[in-house]
Amino acid sequence: VSAPLRSGRRISAETFDFYFDGRRYIAQRGDTAASALAANGVRAFGRSIKYRRLRGLLALGPEEPNALLTVGEAPACIPNVPAPLVRVEPGMRLYSQNRWPSLRIDVASLLRLGSGFWGAGFYYKTFIWPSWKFYEGLIRRLAGLGLAPGSCNLPPARVLHLDADVIVAGGGAAGLRAALAALRLHQRVILCEREPVLGGELSFETATIDGLAALEWVRVAIDELMRGGARILTDTAIVSAAGGVVIAHHQPAGMPGADTLLRLYAPRLVNAMGAIERPIAFVDNDLPGIMLAGAAERLLSDYGVRAGERAVLFGNHDRLYRTAQRLRAGGVDVKLIVDTRDSTPSGAREALLGAGVECLLAHSIVRAFGSSAVRAVQIAPVTRRIDCDAVLLSGGWSPAVRAADAKDWHDVCGAAAGKLSLAAIAGTSDDDGEPQLEPYWRSACTAAEEKRQFVDLQNDVTVADLRQALAEGFRDIEHVKRYTTLGVGTEQGRTGGMLGAAIVAELSGTALAAIGTSRARGPYQPVPMGVLSGTRVGAGLRPERRTPLHDVHIAAGAVMELMGGWMRPRYYTGNGKDSFSAGIAEAARVRQAGGICDGSTLGKIEIAGPDAAAFLDRLYLNSASAIEPGRARYAALLREDGMVLDDGLLLRQTPARYIATTSSSHTAQVLSHLEFYRDTEFRGRRIAITDITEARSVIIVAGPDSRTALRTALGYDWHERLAALRHMGFVEAANLRLLRASFSGELAYELHCQPAIAQDLWQSLGAAGLKPFGLEALDILRVEKGYLTSSELNGQTTPMDAGMGAMLRAGSDGAPRNSVGRALLEREGLKAADRPILVGLRAADGSGQFLGGAQITAAPGDRMSLGYVTSAVFSPALKEWIGLALIARHSSAVGTELVARDPLRGGDMRVRIVPPAHFDPESQRIRA
Amino acid sequence: MSLFTCPFCGPRNLEEFSFHKTLPNIAGGEFEKIYLRRDSPSQSDEHWQHRYGCRAWLRVRRNPSSGDILEVELLTGAPP
Repeated sequence: VSAPLRSGRRISAETFDFYFDGRRYIAQRGDTAASALAANGVRAFGRSIKYRRLRGLLALGPEEPNALLTVGEAPACIPNVPAPLVRVEPGMRLYSQNRWPSLRIDVASLLRLGSGFWGAGFYYKTFIWPSWKFYEGLIRRLAGLGLAPGSCNLPPARVLHLDADVIVAGGGAAGLRAALAALRLHQRVILCEREPVLGGELSFETATIDGLAALEWVRVAIDELMRGGARILTDTAIVSAAGGVVIAHHQPAGMPGADTLLRLYAPRLVNAMGAIERPIAFVDNDLPGIMLAGAAERLLSDYGVRAGERAVLFGNHDRLYRTAQRLRAGGVDVKLIVDTRDSTPSGAREALLGAGVECLLAHSIVRAFGSSAVRAVQIAPVTRRIDCDAVLLSGGWSPAVRAADAKDWHDVCGAAAGKLSLAAIAGTSDDDGEPQLEPYWRSACTAAEEKRQFVDLQNDVTVADLRQALAEGFRDIEHVKRYTTLGVGTEQGRTGGMLGAAIVAELSGTALAAIGTSRARGPYQPVPMGVLSGTRVGAGLRPERRTPLHDVHIAAGAVMELMGGWMRPRYYTGNGKDSFSAGIAEAARVRQAGGICDGSTLGKIEIAGPDAAAFLDRLYLNSASAIEPGRARYAALLREDGMVLDDGLLLRQTPARYIATTSSSHTAQVLSHLEFYRDTEFRGRRIAITDITEARSVIIVAGPDSRTALRTALGYDWHERLAALRHMGFVEAANLRLLRASFSGELAYELHCQPAIAQDLWQSLGAAGLKPFGLEALDILRVEKGYLTSSELNGQTTPMDAGMGAMLRAGSDGAPRNSVGRALLEREGLKAADRPILVGLRAADGSGQFLGGAQITAAPGDRMSLGYVTSAVFSPALKEWIGLALIARHSSAVGTELVARDPLRGGDMRVRIVPPAHFDPESQRIRA
Repeated sequence: MSLFTCPFCGPRNLEEFSFHKTLPNIAGGEFEKIYLRRDSPSQSDEHWQHRYGCRAWLRVRRNPSSGDILEVELLTGAPP
C-alpha cells in the first residue's frame, strides 16, 4: 500500500527506498530518518540502555535521547546518530541499537522481566562477589550504546580553518538578527546552522516580523547577508566552542564521507542556538508516541508527518494552545489539552473551546498506558482515562548554552538567552507574546510508581534513582549525576538535565537555583572520531620524507624503512635473502672494497655571523673557534641538565660561517635548542641560524676503494684536491662539498651536493665500481668501530658515560670551558661508581649470540642489573657477535666477565668486556 | 587557550606553538633552576616556541586553571 505523498517545507515529491533493520521503507527527498520512519508508522526506534524498554522519538534535534541509529553496514558504519540528524538517502541502511536479536524480540529485556528495576548503584552493589571482573564481560556486552565499527573505510575528513570578526552559532530568528547587526557594523560574519536551511523555528511561524511574513523575513535577511559577504554555513553543527575557537562539523546531505571539520576563529562568538523543550515526568512517560510538542509541530510543518491521529497535549504554558491549533489544521484530532496552571488569559484557548476541543486547567497526566506504544493516558485530580496515540509534552524550554562554558560565549541572544517571545527575539513582531510559563516538573505518584517516572530517557534514570541517591548522601548535582548517570552520554542533560535538577530540588527541599545543573561535556552533538582526527590518520599523521635518491634505491631493490621520519634503505635485496645476511654482505664489501650510502637525511644547520664562533663555543663541548676554516671537528652538545643532546660534526667554512651536522632524527630538536640560546643569551648578537638539511643531499663514500672511485666519478678537476684532502678536511665547489670523514672506520668521504645532481653523482660512483649499502650495514660498521648513535646517546647519558671525557678538558687557555649543560655535570650522582660507562662487549666463548636490550648481571640468574646492551651486531670483520653496552663503572674493567640476561629471547649468555672500538682501534684505515 | 598572539605573527592557532618548559621560580643554584618549580593555579610563566611559524621563542604567562593566555612576549636576555 503506497501512502499518499506528504508535503512539507523540507521535503520534495521525489520518493525512494531505504531500509531500517533490514526492512524496506519509502522516504521523500529531504526526509530525516526520524520523519521518514514516523511517516511509515514506525513508533519504536530502539531500546533503552538499562531496562531495554522500547523507545520512540522524543525530540527533533541533536538532543534526541533515544532514537539513536547505526547508519550504514559494518564495518564502515557510524553508530549513535540521532535519527533527526540522519538525512535519508536512496538505499540507505539504518539499524536500531541496544537490542538482540531484533528490536521486537530482545533477549536482555526478557531476562530482566523478572528482576524488576535496577536502581542507582545497582552494579556497584550487586556484582561484588567474587569480583567485578567476573561479571564485567557479560555486562559490557549488554551495556553501552551502539557498537563501534571495527574499521572505517571512509575517506578522512577535510579540515578547514576560517576566521571572521563575529561567529554566530544558530540561524534562526535570533541568529539572523545578530548576523545582520554585525554585518551592518561592517564586521566579517560567519553564520553556522546545523539544519540545511535557515530560519529555525520560523519554519512554522505564522506571526509577522517587521511587517513581513516570517519566512519572507528570513529570505530578505539571507539576501542582505549574502550581498554583504557574510559566510553562511548550513549543514554545519557546532561541536564545541572554547578559547576563541569554534569547532564545527559540516556534512552535506547525501554525501557521507564528505565531512569537513571546521575550525572557526573570531574574537566574538554569539550563541543563538535557541532553546530545548523540556518534558514532564509521569508514570511510564517513556512509551513510544510520547513526544515533545515542538517536535510534533515541526514534524508536521517541515515533513508533513502527523505525530499521531488522536493527540493529548500536556504542558504548563500558553504555547500549547497555538500548537493545538496548528496540529488541528494539519489534520490531527486533538482530544484534550491538559494545562497544569490554574488559569490562562490565552485567547487561543477560547477559540479551541469554541471549536469543541476539551481544555482542562489545573490538571495533569499521571500515567500513560500501552505496551509497544502509548494507547491512553490517565489524568488527575479528576481521574479519567483518555484514549490517544500521541501525547505531546511541553514543560518549558532550557537555553541551549551547553556547547561551551558560558564564559566562552561573548553574546547570547534569542531563546538561548531565555527570550521566549518572537517580539523579544526579532525586535518587532505581532506574535502572541510570552508563553506565561509556570514551572511544573512531574505529576504526583506513589513511591513505587517513581521507578517508572523517567527523568533521563537516554540513561534510564528515574525519580526513584534520584531519591535513592539523595538518601545515600549524594547532595551535589555533580555527585548525583555520577551515581545515577543523570545527564551522561550524548544527551548531556539537554532534555532531562533541568528536569532532574528540579526533582532533586523538590526531593531535597532546596531551591532549584541552589542545585544548579551538572556540567555538560562536549561534543555538543555526536561526531565521528574520523571527523575529529581529520587528515591526521595513517600517512597523514606524519608526512613521509623521501630523499632525492629515493627512486634510485627502489630501482636497485632496496627495502625501505621509516627512520626518524625519513624513508631510508635498510638493505638491498640483491645482497642477501634477509636484512641479516644482506647487511653482513654489504658491510663486508665496504671493508673489503667500498660502497656508497645515502646520507641525505643527516641534519645540516648553518650558523653564520660574526658572533657564530663564540656562540658555538658556548653551545658545543668542543671548541668551535679553534677549528680552522676548511676543517671539521667531531662535537657534541648537551641539554641544560648535562645529558648529551646530540653529536655531529662542526664544519667551519669561513671564520664566520659554520655548518653543524646532526643525527637524522634530532635535527628539529637541535635547531630549536640553538634558536633558544640565540634568542636569549645571545639576543642582539649577530648570528643567523638556518636549517639547510634539504638543501644538500649527502652521499657517503666509504671503503679502501673510495678515493679511486671518487677520482673517476668527479673527474680531473678534483684529482689534486682529493689527493691533498686530509681526514676531517673539506673542499667546496659551487654545487658540491667534499668532506673527508668516516662513520665506518674506513677511508671515507661525504659528498654534500645540490639535490639536483645527487642522482647523477650516485650513478657515476656506481659506474666507478661502488655498490650501495643500507642502514643495516652502516650499523654493523659503526658498532665494529665503537661509534655512537641514539641507542647510546639516549637522553640519559652524560659525556663521561659516553666516553667523551676528552671533550670536557680545559681549553687552550687552561680554564674549563663553560658550555651549556656543564654546570649540572658536576652533580655528585653523575660521578658515582655505579654510573654507566660505554664499553664494548663480546661473547666470552667467542661464538655465542647476544642481542640489544639484554640486561647485564654479574652472574647467571642474578636479578641485580649492572647495565644493558645498547647495540649488538654480527661482525663480518671479526666473525663473531659484538656489541656496545652501558655498564656500571665499578664493573666495567676490560676483561671482566659478566652475563647478558635475555630471558624472553635467548636466556643467559656469558660476555666479556672489551674496549668499544672492536675493529682497527688505532684508526689506521681512516688515515690511509 | 586555543589562540596565541605571537608578537610577530598576530593571533595564531595553538597547534603552531610548542611548549618547552615552565620558568624557574625558586631561588637556588643550577639544580633548583632546572628541576624545581612552584606551581601556581592562577599563573604560570612558560617558554614556548612558535615552531611552525616564525620560530620565535616566547615567554607566555598563562592561567592554568582557566586556560586563559595572559601575556605573550618575546624572550630576551639571559635564560632565567
